[in-house]
Amino acid sequence: MLTTLDLDKRALIIDYCYERFGIMEHIFDNYNWYIGSKNRIYIGPEEIERLIPESIGLCIFRLDRTPKPTTNFIQLFGKEITKNIINLDRDQTLDFCSGSDLKITDSVEPGFVSIKYKNISLGCGHWNGETLKNQIPKSRFCKINFL
Amino acid sequence: MTKTQTVKERIVERYSRLSDDSRKFSNIINKPLKQSFRVNIIKGEKEDILRQMMLYDSSIKKVPWCENAFESDLTNLGSSIHHFSGQIYIQELTSMIPPLIVRDLIKKNKILDCCAAPGSKTTQIADMMENKGHIIANDARHGRIKSLRGNLDRLGITNTTVTLRDFKSFPNTKADLYFVDAPCSSEGTIRKKNAVTRKWKDYDYERFSRMQKGLLKKACEMAPKGSTIVYSTCTFAPEENENVINEIINEENVKLQNINLNGLKMKKGITSWKQNDYDKDVEKCRRIWPHHNNTDAFFLARMEKC
Repeated sequence: MLTTLDLDKRALIIDYCYERFGIMEHIFDNYNWYIGSKNRIYIGPEEIERLIPESIGLCIFRLDRTPKPTTNFIQLFGKEITKNIINLDRDQTLDFCSGSDLKITDSVEPGFVSIKYKNISLGCGHWNGETLKNQIPKSRFCKINFL
Repeated sequence: MTKTQTVKERIVERYSRLSDDSRKFSNIINKPLKQSFRVNIIKGEKEDILRQMMLYDSSIKKVPWCENAFESDLTNLGSSIHHFSGQIYIQELTSMIPPLIVRDLIKKNKILDCCAAPGSKTTQIADMMENKGHIIANDARHGRIKSLRGNLDRLGITNTTVTLRDFKSFPNTKADLYFVDAPCSSEGTIRKKNAVTRKWKDYDYERFSRMQKGLLKKACEMAPKGSTIVYSTCTFAPEENENVINEIINEENVKLQNINLNGLKMKKGITSWKQNDYDKDVEKCRRIWPHHNNTDAFFLARMEKC
């Protein structure tokens, strides 16, 4: 069951997107915001009376103690992200897409990061300064043959 | 039908007299289909995506009648980085046709996709709407909703509400455009690698036909005046195509509209089958024969609510 997200939580996520990824607020201007089970945050079209939806729009965050971006979010808004990006090489990309964590060196701030191969946004990772923890949903893991 | 007759032989026997060239028809359905895909411009610039794909697939060819559709000699593009990132969607070419014949109506409208899973048309419509407007994507089966949801996520679709309902009990919902891509015997997909190879009996066609009429009647009932309804199937069977449309235009307040798509060869709907004659207007429906465009088979009707 989805309900409208309150303005404080919405502001929290928009602020996080700007602080963490440099995403400008106006990107979110035309969306309706919802919260569902497990504190999942969705952006989408307006609700329709008398319809009980399975889902509305796209799940972009989970809001537990802190906001956690989804791979959906990173892939869709990847081109708006200007900081906290980790670029992978070919072999790292193959490993990452198949679900592996990676031991790498990078200078970005610890926290959630946008993972890219060339200019393709692959999804979300969590960087602790030593290990890049894979945040791609298991259902999306893929053995990539062509890149 | 003899015991040893294959499904393909049966299809040739049942439908070749409806086609304009039975030899070409029977030849083509024994040839496998090329893999086709659509570039999802919600996730990037088409030229950039294609340029990158060409680095591992030099066989990519543009499809003349659909600006974002391409064919490839590769058979497993599902394991490409561009599929992983949602920049392409693997889709049969014929399945791309219904949104294209109402291209003029799609932008920023409210659209109800009555039988949406696994989401090929829904994601294509969302792409054509530039992720704006509103699509209601319904399907009756929980298992199929999962694949629909997965594809909407992968392609980054934000303008869609997903519902799980038997469409015949769907709440009346006003929209500008209704897509009824009805469950069917799928005979037209016989060239696909994992094609349905069941030998349908006459009572199966009747069963599908009843279901299709029920879905289409429901769409016609809830559609407001001036809205458009697109009916499509991927079967050759007139029982599921012209017969359904003939009953609908006689019983519901809708009129058939002409269908054109530049670069794609289509044939008129037929006006008689077995002992049944259909309204002359049923010729406004369109049949896509596999040997005309080297595709699957498909059937389309476009109606306006009066």
